[in-house]
Amino acid sequence: MDTLQLAFYILPNLAWLVSLYGPLVYQPMKKKALMEREQASVKYGSATALTTLSTPSKPDEIQAYRLLVANVVMSPSWIQIFGGWFRSLFGGRINTFSKLLEWARREAKQRLVEQLEASGFDEVINVRFETATLTKSKGREDKTTGFEILVYGTAVKY
Amino acid sequence: MNTSLNMPFSNTETLPGSTIIQSHGVVTGSTVRAKNVFKDIGAGLKNIVGGELKAYTELLQESRNEALFRMCSEAAARGANAVVNVRFATSSVAGGASELLAYGTAVTVQ
Repeated sequence: MDTLQLAFYILPNLAWLVSLYGPLVYQPMKKKALMEREQASVKYGSATALTTLSTPSKPDEIQAYRLLVANVVMSPSWIQIFGGWFRSLFGGRINTFSKLLEWARREAKQRLVEQLEASGFDEVINVRFETATLTKSKGREDKTTGFEILVYGTAVKY
Repeated sequence: MNTSLNMPFSNTETLPGSTIIQSHGVVTGSTVRAKNVFKDIGAGLKNIVGGELKAYTELLQESRNEALFRMCSEAAARGANAVVNVRFATSSVAGGASELLAYGTAVTVQ
């Protein structure tokens, strides 16, 4: 009976600790891994091969082309959702969400760069970003579960 | 993905290295999909620490390919041999489902 009482005492506190400190450990870990991948691409020289222009740099020498699509769904932790809701009462910059969206966009862009490296093409032209909100139904209203970032562009080979 | 129906498509206004001789108008392909309840619960658990929801990423990837495939099928039905200026749009409909839309201009190229 004592252990049961102890469990009832520890488990809620543990849940609190995980949700308070979990994001502070987990998210920087993932961001660091992303940064290493980005630096590898910079060394490889493919990080600067993306352009939003619709004309390729060498239009007369194109061998092949294909559409590359990369996406990622990022979700804020519920502490971040609460923080965002709290800040939106006062208005102004909501740091947690802007950081999360920036992270998601970097991740999606990096995936496009990695697809480019894997496919052996030289350049991605006409790169476009799209953002969408994913919801789940909870009771009568729809709640935000995450944001989807989509990046796509035409890869060309010279 | 690009081999669906063997139809070339790109999101630029012209296909690199070929000329457009005829336009067949706008073609669209869309699909509405939702993940199952268990994956939704998993995503809810991931909300504790935040970060990527892999199940949703894969779901949207698959459905986007489906939308592209339908778009290409429509273009083929109109007698086109390529699709240019492809654009994507995503919207969430009620009940946790998402609609993926791909649209572009069906053309005949030489």
